[in-house]
Amino acid sequence: MTTYLFNNIFLWGLSIDAWITIATVMAVIGVMLFTKVRTDAIMLIAIGVLFALGVLDAKEMCSGFSAGTVVVTGVLGVVMAGLRYTGVLQWMLKHVFGLPDRYPTALLRMMVPVSMLSAFLSNTMLTMLFSNVLKRWSRKLNIAPSKLYLPMMYAVQMGGVLTLIGTSTNIIVADYYGTATGKTMNMFSILVPGALCLFVGILFIIAVRRWLPDRKSPEEAFETAFDYTVELRVPSDNPNICKTLGEAGLFHVKGGNLIDIHHFDHDPSVLSEDEFIMGGDRLLYTGQIDEILELKETHNLVVSDHHVRSMNEINKNYELRIAFVNFYSKLIGKTIGDSSIERDNNMVLVAVARRGRRIEAPPREVELQAGDTLLFECPRKTNTYAKHLTSQLQFSDFQEVVKIGPNAIVSSLIMTAMMILTALNVVSLLHGTVLAALAMLLFRCCTINQAMDSVSWRSLMSLAGSIVLGTAIAKTGIAQMVALTVVDLVGTQPILVMLGVCLAAMLITQIVENVAVTAMFAPIMYQAAMQVGYEPAPFLLALMIAANASYATPIAASPNMLVYGPGGYRFTDYMRIGIPLTIIVTITGVAAVILAYPLVKL
Amino acid sequence: MNTKLEEIDGKYMVTLEGEMDTAAAHEAEAVLKPLYKSDGKDVIIDCINLTYLSSGGLRILLTILKGAKASNSKVVMRGASDEIKKIFQLTGLISYFDFE
Repeated sequence: MTTYLFNNIFLWGLSIDAWITIATVMAVIGVMLFTKVRTDAIMLIAIGVLFALGVLDAKEMCSGFSAGTVVVTGVLGVVMAGLRYTGVLQWMLKHVFGLPDRYPTALLRMMVPVSMLSAFLSNTMLTMLFSNVLKRWSRKLNIAPSKLYLPMMYAVQMGGVLTLIGTSTNIIVADYYGTATGKTMNMFSILVPGALCLFVGILFIIAVRRWLPDRKSPEEAFETAFDYTVELRVPSDNPNICKTLGEAGLFHVKGGNLIDIHHFDHDPSVLSEDEFIMGGDRLLYTGQIDEILELKETHNLVVSDHHVRSMNEINKNYELRIAFVNFYSKLIGKTIGDSSIERDNNMVLVAVARRGRRIEAPPREVELQAGDTLLFECPRKTNTYAKHLTSQLQFSDFQEVVKIGPNAIVSSLIMTAMMILTALNVVSLLHGTVLAALAMLLFRCCTINQAMDSVSWRSLMSLAGSIVLGTAIAKTGIAQMVALTVVDLVGTQPILVMLGVCLAAMLITQIVENVAVTAMFAPIMYQAAMQVGYEPAPFLLALMIAANASYATPIAASPNMLVYGPGGYRFTDYMRIGIPLTIIVTITGVAAVILAYPLVKL
Repeated sequence: MNTKLEEIDGKYMVTLEGEMDTAAAHEAEAVLKPLYKSDGKDVIIDCINLTYLSSGGLRILLTILKGAKASNSKVVMRGASDEIKKIFQLTGLISYFDFE
């Protein structure tokens, strides 16, 4: 009796385990939102806490790592490596985009094939591949990249919902449904609602295309959208030595300003036209990068490095490359000077830009932020696709060279066979993907190393952790409690219940990784359907669409982050189109699910 | 740091002793300022006992040199040690001064 009263009065009907889980979930969301701690680590710590406090037993704690969702997602990485390294994707990209002469046509020509590919391939990988294609395409079409990157990302996201394997969130929901009911969802269960959402979404984006910002790309016009800081050095044989800055024409320069001068001994010096130029001086300029870099030629200066090189050494074997700081880069909060990235890759940082803000400090001393644009002087042969670089920086001008050969046909056949066999339920999704991955390796569509590198182990850990959190939410009765609350709020009308949970998922997915949101909401949606006594499948399909509608912020999903730098976007650019798009897609999705799958009473 | 300015046989004789760091350069400038506007006489700078020269010190010497050049007179560095010459080399100024 006492326990009953305690539980009902002080714990609002929830167990202590449930409250521990709620606190953990809140902490996870808080840490994800306000810190830069990597998601996989947050998830692993959270499930460690739940295990240590006795909320989860050992079997439940490990359940996420052996979940079908995690295995399928990982194995799909290998299948994708096969398609990628045989050149199938590159061939498709090259031949389907064309050269449309109108912007709305260009959007259509890009978004339709992108979304079709995304139905079967990883959203993140496709966004990376298309980022490089779009840069060149936008130049050919003379359309600002900012007009193309967001629509591409939205197409990738919306296309991912077309099949169960298109995105991890769909796999999570399908896996949860299978575990809870013992039934399996077909690979194309979500096709009709997903296609309708895609159709409406594409039409909406074309209709509001003027809302997309029109910004020149950093590559084409560093100077208009970005303010750069460039440090140049005076070699000891410079002809301007002994002149003053004013006499040498280095004080007032075209396109920028001299903001600091450091002599060899770092003694403070007053910045004036009358300051003498000495060998070894470091001159710090801000402004238009290309014009400031012209000083290298006109005034025999060199880009600042750890030592001064003569002009002859520069330019022969080096080229300028642009890179964006990744959202989860270890460089965030550090300066390039603090890291060994320059030394390890024989690169020199020339300039740093951050949208809307002038960085008045030497580039190598700038504390970096996600999305910062960095200009490096690199040896011509630098492999900017090397894993140790891509984990920190996203090079915008990387072009993967893949030879298209007979294996392209083999990999396409393997992929097609996988889709047909799983769609017809001849083999399960897990079997289908494992067989396809084995076939890709057997027929040498990719090497073992390429296959292993294609698997995003970090994402898999996040996924596994999210699933375990979902297990805790279901086990401790939180899912049931939330479901009951929804029913209390909106009544037992199933459509309203479905909409209510979808709305909550849709809101949270804008600020938290959609994988985590889906894992948390799958048991809630399932319980909500059970509370009102309806078959849960349509409810879970509606959740797939709502949880995937993470369009309104750059942090909602990996593809969103990947286009942030290359598109030169601001946070609000995502909101302008993303908020209405999210609402439209969610409402369309729910309506389409109800039409395609009439709700059936249990 | 000691700085001395004298006029001997129609030439200016400057004696620099010790370390000419930033603070010392300010003191030296007060003594050497008259040389900024050259009156056509050569300037001999005795640096036998000069042990260090900062960018602030070089700035003073360069200002004197600029004035001297304008009136076609010379600035001669006398008795500079290898360390001092190295500073002139690193800064690319070695060819602009006459060394004895």
